[in-house]
Parts: sequence; C-alpha cells; structure tokens
Amino acid sequence: MTTTLDSSPLSVVEALRGDRSKRPLIDIASAGGLRSLLEDGIFEIIGAQRLATPLVVRTSSLHQRLATIDLAMSTPGRIRGVLIGQLLRLLSVGMSIDHAFDDAVATWRAEVGANELIQQLDALDDDDRARLATDVAAHCVTLTRALGEIPARWMPRSAVRATQRLAGGNVVLRDVVDLMIGASTSDVASIALFDVTTSPLGEGAERSMRFHALMHTLRTSVMPLRTCTFSSATGEMWIRDVDYELLARSVQDVLNSVRDQWSAK
Amino acid sequence: MTLMHRRLTRSDLNELVSAAPAAPVQLLDAHRASLTTRFRAVSVPGHRRLDAWSVERAGRSSNVFRWSPATARRVLGNASLRRLATQPASVRDAVRDELGDQMLRAASGYSRSGSLSHWLASAPHPVIGLVTAEAVNWATQLQEIAEWLDATWEVPTSDAYYDVASARTTLRARRDLVVRTSESRTIVRVRSGSPGKSAGPGLRADLTIEALADHDGVAPVRYIGLWPEAGVCLSVDGTMSDLRSGARDLVRTAVAQRRRGTLLAA
Repeated sequence: MTTTLDSSPLSVVEALRGDRSKRPLIDIASAGGLRSLLEDGIFEIIGAQRLATPLVVRTSSLHQRLATIDLAMSTPGRIRGVLIGQLLRLLSVGMSIDHAFDDAVATWRAEVGANELIQQLDALDDDDRARLATDVAAHCVTLTRALGEIPARWMPRSAVRATQRLAGGNVVLRDVVDLMIGASTSDVASIALFDVTTSPLGEGAERSMRFHALMHTLRTSVMPLRTCTFSSATGEMWIRDVDYELLARSVQDVLNSVRDQWSAK
Repeated sequence: MTLMHRRLTRSDLNELVSAAPAAPVQLLDAHRASLTTRFRAVSVPGHRRLDAWSVERAGRSSNVFRWSPATARRVLGNASLRRLATQPASVRDAVRDELGDQMLRAASGYSRSGSLSHWLASAPHPVIGLVTAEAVNWATQLQEIAEWLDATWEVPTSDAYYDVASARTTLRARRDLVVRTSESRTIVRVRSGSPGKSAGPGLRADLTIEALADHDGVAPVRYIGLWPEAGVCLSVDGTMSDLRSGARDLVRTAVAQRRRGTLLAA
C-alpha cells in the first residue's frame, strides 16, 4: 500500500506507526533471498575478479542516475540537508530548538570536528550565511510541525548507519537512515524508517525509501514495516509499506548503480 | 583457532551463547609471569596502554582522544541500560538521568579536568542534545540485543583492566554484556562500523585481557563481538591456544609501537 500525503497529518509519527492490529508478522525469510539476488547480479556484472577499491553504493549514487542538475547537491543545498538532519536528531530526543541554524551548526561541529563542508560554511559571506540561516529556520518549522512529539516508548533512534559488503568486498553498500522508530524484538513488524529531504519529492526520493528498507532488511535480516520520506521544503510525505516486491525493486536499483559505476571504470 | 562468523540474528546470537564450551580455561601465575617478562623486555619511556583496537591497528597510534558525542555514547549508553535494570523507564529518560548525574558530579566538584562529567558540564545545550541522541541510539541497540538473549545477562560496571606488573603497561578489554552461568561466563562486545581483517585478533586480545583481569585467571568460555551496523558477529572461544595467541598479539603490538616510536625519534 502506498500513502501519499500532500499536506502533513497532525503527527508524522502517528501516520508511520499506523494501526498496530493490522501489522503483519515479522518476515525473517526474505533477507537471504535478497542477498542472493544481489550476489548473483553483481557476479554477472563484475565476475570473479577482486577489485582494489570497492564500488560504493549509497542513496546519492541512486539519485545520480536520474539527476543531471540537482540543487540539493549544490554546496548550500548539502549544508542545509546536513543541518536539517542535525535538527531532526535533537527533535528525536525531545530537545527544544531555540535558534535552528545556530543549534544545528553547533551540533554538526561537535559531531564531525572539521571537514570540507564545514569549511565551506565558514567561508560563506554574511549575506549567504543569513540566507542559509533563514532557509534552515523555515525548513525546521515545517519539520517540527509535521513531526510533533516523538514518544520515548517508540524508541526513536536517529542517524542509524548500515554497511553491507557484497561479492567478497567488491561492492559496499552504505546507508544512514535519519530516524528509525519501533522495536525489533516484537513478533509483528514494527520498524518504521523516516528520511528527511530538503528537496521536493521526486523519483530519487522513492529510490532512497526503497534503499533504506533494503539495507535494514540486509542488516537485521528482518523486514521493516514501513519506509517514508518527508520533504521539509514542501511538507509532502510519501509512506510505503515494505514488501518483497519493493525490496526486489531496490535490488535492481543497486545493480543498476553497480553497472553504471563498473562501465564508467 | 576458534574464530566463528555469523549473521547477527536473534537465533544465531543465542546459538553462539548456548553452544559455548562448558568448562572454562584458567590462566596460572606462571602465565602471568611469562607475560610480564615479555612486556618488560619491550620497555618504553612512558606508560603504555593497549587494547583490541591497538592490536587491530598493529600498534599504529590513533588520533588523540577527545570527548565528543560519539566517544561519550558508549559510557552513557551502558550506564543508562544498567540504570534501566533497576529503575524501569524509557531509554531516553534513563539517558537523561545519567547525563544529569554526570553534570551534577561536575557541578559539585567531584570531576577532574578531562573527564566526561567535566566535558559535559561545559558543553552547549545543542551538543547535550546530540550526546543524548547518540547515547539513546547506543542504549536502545544494546537493550534490543540483550532482550534477544534467552540467558540472563548483565551490563558490567566497567571494562576489564589489567596492569602488567613492573612493565608500566595497562591492558583494557571492552565488554558490554556478560552472560553468566554457575561455572562460566560469556562476554558480548559491541562495536561500530564493520569488522576488518584484523577483527579476529582484536577479539582474542580482549579475551586474553578479560582472563588476566579476572582475579582467579578464569577465561570467559566465549567472547562474542557484534557489529550491528554490518549485521554480523564474530566469536572466539576461551581455549588456551586462543589465549596464547591473544597474548602474543598484545606483545607484538607493544613491539610494533616501540619500533614506530624509535623510527619517529630518529
């Protein structure tokens, strides 16, 4: 089932959790089959040779197939995306945000120290910095309104990382899910994956949603309940129930990315 | 060697715990004396600290330690889970209580400069938020792993430390969960990222240090390393050959460290 919400519901988290009585039992059987599909597909592309440097697939690799010009990948766009991700982390633990831009920058610096993107932020002139600060504040308002309060009993975890080595290390899949809620110890599927983008939603966002679900399934061997993407630019949200078909489509997305990278070598 | 590789699933983890060897191996005074002799032969001017990470990096020095949300998460996360065992609450509330206690320690003058309490007390409000988020992630993950276990578990109050007598060397083994039976114990250790090629030697080093740190020299029957981000686990058994191998790797690491120090000085 696909749910498209043009205007945000009162609480995104409520929409993600849905009706508990309608949740399916956890699926622990599909992960092995998906892994085999990936391994077989990669073998068809690369063969048995060992690569000195692995091909890396992440959500941004899946976007590149479509986008020729993606404003979200510009420097201010990337900085804005990182800052909104930091604010989501604060919201996930119920922290109040007083000054969206300053708070986000402070957490970002504490997390990574110094990196190229932070240097680019520091190099912005006053006008660009003020423009970015206003932009971040606007995105934060949209996100905060939509998200509502996240109850602690739903076990929110933010910036959840996953890594999978395939084909003997020839291909590495990397992923970071912005927010994950639900318990993995339940007998029914309970995990919902939530991703925030500062761009309007497009086909790339759909690929990301699928990829998050695939990575979670490969990592934990348990299929998540739902995967969702929220746009802090438009307030739009897409929610998909996770099933085998969705995950098989993501396998094809990954194989297409591997094929593109391999032919570009 | 007894290195085993499994996917990190509930059934695989329980199988690793339940199928561990029944009888533990014991290190004797002679083993401790032999290790001391070897470390004393590799003297260094200052004090030396070795752990699984230094073994995995073959003695190459890491960046200088500094507190950050990432380095604070394990200390706070484990303490929060210990707190949850006695005072049922949400993970988030347990982390907040733990943070509150840490900051109170600093405010009342019981923390030294450079300690976690000291750093937290001077951290700005948004950074405390990020520390909370990281600690909640860690504690939730560890709680879920613990709840998977069929056996009774506990969160140890500290890592295992062993000071090698007269060799100015401190060994540290990471441990996050302990599963005890009447005769034996199995240790579970959680790490970020994915295991590299030297993850096995790292686990063996932890196994050896854990055995040395035990008052009677009793080794855990199995040491299980979990990498939840990669969804895999590795384990080594507490056999005498694995303990010897772990000790050899620790001494080799000390040798490699000294050689690098000499090269830098030259």
